[in-house]
Amino acid sequence: MIGLNEKIISPLNRVEGDLDLKVELKGNKVVKAYPMSRLFRGIEIILKNKSPMDSLVITPRVCGICGGSHLYSTVRALDMAYKAEVPPNGVLIRNIMSLAEMGQNDVRHTYLMFLIDSVNKKYESFPFYKDMVLRWAPFYGSSYKEAVKWSKKYTEIYAIFGGQWPHGSSMVPGGVTAEPYPDDIMKAKAIIKEISSELVEKVMIGGPTEQFLSVKSMKDLNQWCEDYPNGDICKIWIYGKEMKWDKLGKGSDYLMSFGHVPLDEKYNQENPELMFKSGILNLNNFETLQLNQENFLEFVSKSYYTYSSGDIGLHPFQGETNPIPPISKDKYTFTKAFRYKLKDKLIAPEVGALSMLAVGGNDLILDLLKHLGTNVLLREIARFIRIVLINKIIEEQLEKYKFGEPTYKKPDEVKDSQGYGLIEASRGSLGHWIVIKDGKIQNYQIITPTQINMGPEDPYGNLSHMSLALVGTEVENIDNPIEVAHIVRSHDACMVCNVHFFDNKEKMVLKL
Amino acid sequence: MRTLLWLQGGACGGNSLSLLNASDPDLLLFFEQHKIKLLWHPSLSLENNIEKILNDIRNGKITLDILVFEGTIIRGPNNTGTFNLFAGKPMKDWISEISPLANYIIAVGDCASFGGIPASDPNPTQSTGLQFHKKEKGGFLGQKFRSKSGFPVINISGCPAHPTWILTTISMIVEGKLTEDLLDEYNRPKIFYSTTTQFGCPRQPYFTYKIASNELGHREGCLYFELGCRGPMTRSPCNNILWNNQSSKTRVGTPCMGCTEFDFPTFNFFKTEKNRSGLPKNLPIGMSRGSYITFSAIARGSAPQFLTKPLIKKRGDWIE
Repeated sequence: MIGLNEKIISPLNRVEGDLDLKVELKGNKVVKAYPMSRLFRGIEIILKNKSPMDSLVITPRVCGICGGSHLYSTVRALDMAYKAEVPPNGVLIRNIMSLAEMGQNDVRHTYLMFLIDSVNKKYESFPFYKDMVLRWAPFYGSSYKEAVKWSKKYTEIYAIFGGQWPHGSSMVPGGVTAEPYPDDIMKAKAIIKEISSELVEKVMIGGPTEQFLSVKSMKDLNQWCEDYPNGDICKIWIYGKEMKWDKLGKGSDYLMSFGHVPLDEKYNQENPELMFKSGILNLNNFETLQLNQENFLEFVSKSYYTYSSGDIGLHPFQGETNPIPPISKDKYTFTKAFRYKLKDKLIAPEVGALSMLAVGGNDLILDLLKHLGTNVLLREIARFIRIVLINKIIEEQLEKYKFGEPTYKKPDEVKDSQGYGLIEASRGSLGHWIVIKDGKIQNYQIITPTQINMGPEDPYGNLSHMSLALVGTEVENIDNPIEVAHIVRSHDACMVCNVHFFDNKEKMVLKL
Repeated sequence: MRTLLWLQGGACGGNSLSLLNASDPDLLLFFEQHKIKLLWHPSLSLENNIEKILNDIRNGKITLDILVFEGTIIRGPNNTGTFNLFAGKPMKDWISEISPLANYIIAVGDCASFGGIPASDPNPTQSTGLQFHKKEKGGFLGQKFRSKSGFPVINISGCPAHPTWILTTISMIVEGKLTEDLLDEYNRPKIFYSTTTQFGCPRQPYFTYKIASNELGHREGCLYFELGCRGPMTRSPCNNILWNNQSSKTRVGTPCMGCTEFDFPTFNFFKTEKNRSGLPKNLPIGMSRGSYITFSAIARGSAPQFLTKPLIKKRGDWIE
């Protein structure tokens, strides 16, 4: 099965597990790509037969960088199962925590994981190489240092309401455990304002937030870069195109988002009104389709799992997690294949910051997409835009908090029920499904963004988004396959993402 | 220069992310000030030369001063370790090979220390800690294991471990100030694990006078009596060395889950388990049932009145 031109990239680490990548090259062109998850921790199995409230403590530990997102998904699933009402203050505080975590992630992803690759030797001959090194080199770059300094300030906001980051358990069905005082609100406001002025305006976008919010098209963005050329967004926009990052990594024709940030006044568990809408955007005609979670399916024909019913796709409510030893000939990953059933087609969409903003209707992102399509550069630009938006929303939500009003309303306990929680985590759409029987968890299933992007093919041969994005990629220097790394890292596989190339004896032959 | 290598087994990466939250000094400054050369870290390293580094440690070209391990040792399925392949082979095999060569080994987080969540019932991955499996000494490396300096594996438990606990421990090693009598019975530095989570908890007066918070979402009342707080049974400095410079679980009304202890996760969180006479099943460390009953009766009767009613009148107040 393994031919001479195949390379295994191992480990391609991610927070919730190690990811390896096997690519098959013909000459310098990637012709096949197999994302392989090489770590299994069994969280879904551990949750079985436990008390439903235990999931609030266990699921944040699925992932060290987006634990707050797992908590939010869990609590939304429990809200539904418990038919909980959540007071507006509870919704606000949950949103603030979730967005603070996202801000932390977007900064760390951008600078600690993605942009450090700009110092790769491939780019040494470019005239702006020195500028990139001065800004983005690990440990020494000016922006890198600012990112290390300010990303942790976001976690302070989370901790003010959530006690600690990572791994707080302060969201509960019916609201949050905290009862913030006005001093908490004041502190959080001060921190977010300071991040906005010192990191976002000075380092990331290079100009005033309010004005950046009126940048609505590619033309506007070019103008912004003339007016404020020193921000990293302009550097990456201009240098990125020179380095052809805008031609790299187009994958799926569909962008999907579960939607995010419920409005506090109108919260309900089934269909909360959202600031960032949910849906699936078809890139061929720019039509947005409504999302229905009943159409979700997971397949394991290429994954190290078995289903009691064979190779059919299962909805997460009926989902199974039966791992098998990773030595099967036809299977190659611990990730299940996520598919969306659209009439008679099975879609493998892309998820992430770009999808969240595009489906959510952001004008700038939509205009950029119409001009350039999906690619590595736009995925990074999307995170710059998202940071500006979420900082603004955090400020607004803090403003709306009413001291003296409750943050929590105790729901009734349930014996038999089920629920799901769909949100946008930092790196894309995240869903949790819980089935409760006799007061215990009978089934718990999680669909993560990395799984959606980097799953294997389904039994009908449809590839997942990541494989589509990699196939066709020209690797300039096979000893330095940085293009492949850019594509994988632009998806924020995780901030602990590393790429190694191994030959067919799993001996390292290429490294980045 | 001291060399430090950071590896992850069955991990969520939470301890690495926690490390990035370090302040005074922050991580970059810490390495500089303590003359530590970071050989490799999965999230911080630019180069992906880990296999070469591991081989150079094995053949003696690189001296490994400190090995930091995050996550569980995954032994499954069927003792193959293939549920956690790293650079082409099971992580457990890498650890077997390089552990005896490290001068010091630090297990960061509850997973590496005791097995944590992955090792909890039914332990689908055959996970275990480096030198403990839950309460039992032994773990993956065995009861008698010592690193080259003569130390057992130093455990910095917690889910995750606080960056100050991690960096202080490393600094003490580098400065030659860590002695074995500074470790507790679970090989944790006593400076962090001799007090309980209650030390510094703003709700301590409510605990003293046995005034319960019966509902989440409130700032007042003790979370131990009804809501499952494990603060009186958990050794951690969480309310003294605050998280993210700001807060702690109990400060925001979340019960302590006991994540620095060998038995984490205990499950049935958010609810205090009681015995038939209505007493909490788990009593504060070192307290007998008899003295608890006596203490409670006196305490409740002598509670200052200002603690028995809400300090500030708000909607949804909870104290009877």
